[in-house]
Amino acid sequence: MPDGQEVVEKQAKSEIIAPGYTFGTVTDQISAVVLTKKTPLFWVACFGVGFSLLLVFLWAVALLLAKGVGIWGIRTPVMWGFAITNFVWWIGIGHAGTLISAILLLLNQSWRNSINRFAEAMTLFAVACAGMFPLLHLGRPWLFYWLFPYPNSMGVQPQFRSPLVWDVFAVSTYATVSAMFWYVGLMPDMATLRDRAKNRVARVLYGMGAMGWRGSAKHWSIYETASLLLAGLATPLVLSVHTVVSFDFTIAILPGWHSTFFPPYFVAGAIYSGFAMVLALAIPLRSVYGLQGLITDRHLENAAKIMLATGLIVSYAYIMETFLAWYSGDIFEEAAFWHRMTGPYASTYWALISCNIILPQALWIKRIRTNPVTLFIWSIIVLIGMWLERYVIIVSSLAQDYLPSSWGYFHATRWDWATFAGTVGLFMFLFFIFIRLLPMISIFEVRTLLPQARVKGA
Amino acid sequence: MTAQGLDFRIGADLLADLRRWRGRFGIVGAVAAIALIIGAIFSPAQAVRSYLWSYIFYVGVAVGCLAWLMTQYLTGGAWGVVIRRPCEAAVRTIPLLAVLFIPVAIGIPDLYAWAHAGIEQTDAILRHKHVFLNLPFFLIRTAAYFTGWILWEWRLNHWSAVEDRDGGTFPHQRMARLSGPGLVFWGFSVTFMAIDWAMSIEPHWYSTMFGLLFIVGQGLSSLAFLITVLVLLSYRSPLSGVLTPRHLHDLGKLLLANVMVWAYFAFSQWLITWAGNLPHEITWYVERIRGGWGVIAMALIFLHFALPFALLLSRDLKRNFKLLAGIAIFILVMRYVDIYWLVMPDFRRGAFGVSWMDFVTPIALGGVWLWYFLVQLDKRPLMPLHDPHLEEALEHGR
Repeated sequence: MPDGQEVVEKQAKSEIIAPGYTFGTVTDQISAVVLTKKTPLFWVACFGVGFSLLLVFLWAVALLLAKGVGIWGIRTPVMWGFAITNFVWWIGIGHAGTLISAILLLLNQSWRNSINRFAEAMTLFAVACAGMFPLLHLGRPWLFYWLFPYPNSMGVQPQFRSPLVWDVFAVSTYATVSAMFWYVGLMPDMATLRDRAKNRVARVLYGMGAMGWRGSAKHWSIYETASLLLAGLATPLVLSVHTVVSFDFTIAILPGWHSTFFPPYFVAGAIYSGFAMVLALAIPLRSVYGLQGLITDRHLENAAKIMLATGLIVSYAYIMETFLAWYSGDIFEEAAFWHRMTGPYASTYWALISCNIILPQALWIKRIRTNPVTLFIWSIIVLIGMWLERYVIIVSSLAQDYLPSSWGYFHATRWDWATFAGTVGLFMFLFFIFIRLLPMISIFEVRTLLPQARVKGA
Repeated sequence: MTAQGLDFRIGADLLADLRRWRGRFGIVGAVAAIALIIGAIFSPAQAVRSYLWSYIFYVGVAVGCLAWLMTQYLTGGAWGVVIRRPCEAAVRTIPLLAVLFIPVAIGIPDLYAWAHAGIEQTDAILRHKHVFLNLPFFLIRTAAYFTGWILWEWRLNHWSAVEDRDGGTFPHQRMARLSGPGLVFWGFSVTFMAIDWAMSIEPHWYSTMFGLLFIVGQGLSSLAFLITVLVLLSYRSPLSGVLTPRHLHDLGKLLLANVMVWAYFAFSQWLITWAGNLPHEITWYVERIRGGWGVIAMALIFLHFALPFALLLSRDLKRNFKLLAGIAIFILVMRYVDIYWLVMPDFRRGAFGVSWMDFVTPIALGGVWLWYFLVQLDKRPLMPLHDPHLEEALEHGR
């Protein structure tokens, strides 16, 4: 059947793992990054940048604690400014990791096996960065535990009708489940590293991390159950966290915020930016460490397709919210959108439309989806666009609400930028430590992708 | 095993069954349609309102099938192969549904307050919306939705027939290429359809979630319909040897996911509207939670979401043909009730009531539509012989 031959060849080109790998070479290649290979200059440079920016972050936070949130540009009426923009942006980025690790697992999409480890790490670190902002924005972050409903002598409880309180529960649950999921998946690989490490200290540390994993059938059976249960727990979290974040806006009756489809629109936007971040990390990493055989072009194209699909949902949201703002006949609603398009934030708005709607349409073209360089550029565009989106929603709606007498504009100070850049540094710092110390690709899950692992029908 | 030795043409037993059912649906539909016409003579407004409600439901099933068809061309996978032929038959009924729009077009003055001549002189909001909500533009938009849907179903069916005849991977690539833009068109057309046909009944109200509610509603209705059809077909050759619990299990999971998404959308819209409590928004819900409408609202929570959700969590149930089909039919009934609750309260301000025509129209339209669906269904083999995923699908079932 000549037809079949053609199909087989075509599949080989777009496989989720390059041909020629064996169980041994997979393990060698991934664990070598951590155990034996010389640390590449790329790592040192990125870690250096991350560490420097982390120092900037510490400086900005120290000043913030000393002087108060007034060092930021937040003034009445725009009290949310950069802090909440950055919070929503970071937490959104985390969503792709959870989608890859949980939802794609439940959907039996085995191609996820090669990208889930570092995507989950990305989730954890993004949530860590996100968590900084609401805490620092509190003004007195050391009293953060007041957010929890604990019995106290003041006789006060958080306002349960406020979505800001729901955020506390949503985000802390999300961080906990993500960390557990990530760690459970790491245990078998830690055992591999323990067995392969030459250095005694490394052996002891990886051994402790592996928690006595010996790879017995019983271990694997418990592992499979645990990971399936955690996937089931994490799946609603993909939706719930950003849904609650969207309630932060929609529950208020501010024009431009009070829109009923914000929950799914925010979730789609979160996954959009999350996959952009996955690509922005995967593309340089795989070329520096020579992992093109494990993170193949097929992975990049699949991620690009998900980015295109979620980008289209986001485009739908912009178009429909603008149309319905006009359709509503509500002068405030109309004015909010008119201000966005023509007011003082117009340049930001049109930059957002370009980055999030117009330019990503190029992803329909296969050549752009399959070329790592263009895809990297496009993922950066989307990351910028999604940051701008949150900025426009937050700042433009707060700046001009119902009463012209209470209008006011936001100007970011250098400390706003320093804090934001600082969390980028924190993220890079954590991520590159992870790359150096732990296997960035799941060794045992990739091994299940090999043709040798298929023992069906025995 | 290659696909060459397989034959998915409809067997003699099944053909006889399908013809018999087709006749029954046709007769029942015709009788109910006559009753509806008699009703229309005495109470044209009520007839056309009941008609609109049922009509939105059947358009949802057919156009929803178009979306599933295109989705499976894009994602691939075993689940898509088994639903392809029922989907194709359902989308070939869209031209009939376009013709069946005529009664709605005739009844526009009884359906939409914005269509009344001169109303824009007295109502500032309607004056504002007049450029959009006016009779010619409304009809042009509806024509545009149907043109698009028919265009896509025609091309998809064309390439599917080419695939059946010639084989090869080329037709499948063409269909996948059509499906991306097709889904974009589907999303926007269904949203504007929802705004035009349903939301503009109360022309002062608006909600950005409304279009998405119809998008997921169509997905849910059509999926429940497809599951029902597949289960009924599974008793006879050729599908009796092909469909296995694993295929049904996949579709059952999708059904569960859609039930949850529906609840998520419906609840989000409610929570946001309730929390805002703005007079021009909450009144829409106030109409729908008082008196008898409130009973329907509660029924939607428990029977459209909670019960199917709880049942569909069971793995055994999703693998049991009869039980899954039972839930699918139940969901179809609840879809009817949901659309009733969305559409009807604005026609009966402040009071709950049901007309006898509300029971006749679903039967009339349903009979006619199912008759035409079955006419389309036996035109092609029940599985696509040259689908690139066919072997994967057969293997998946073993």
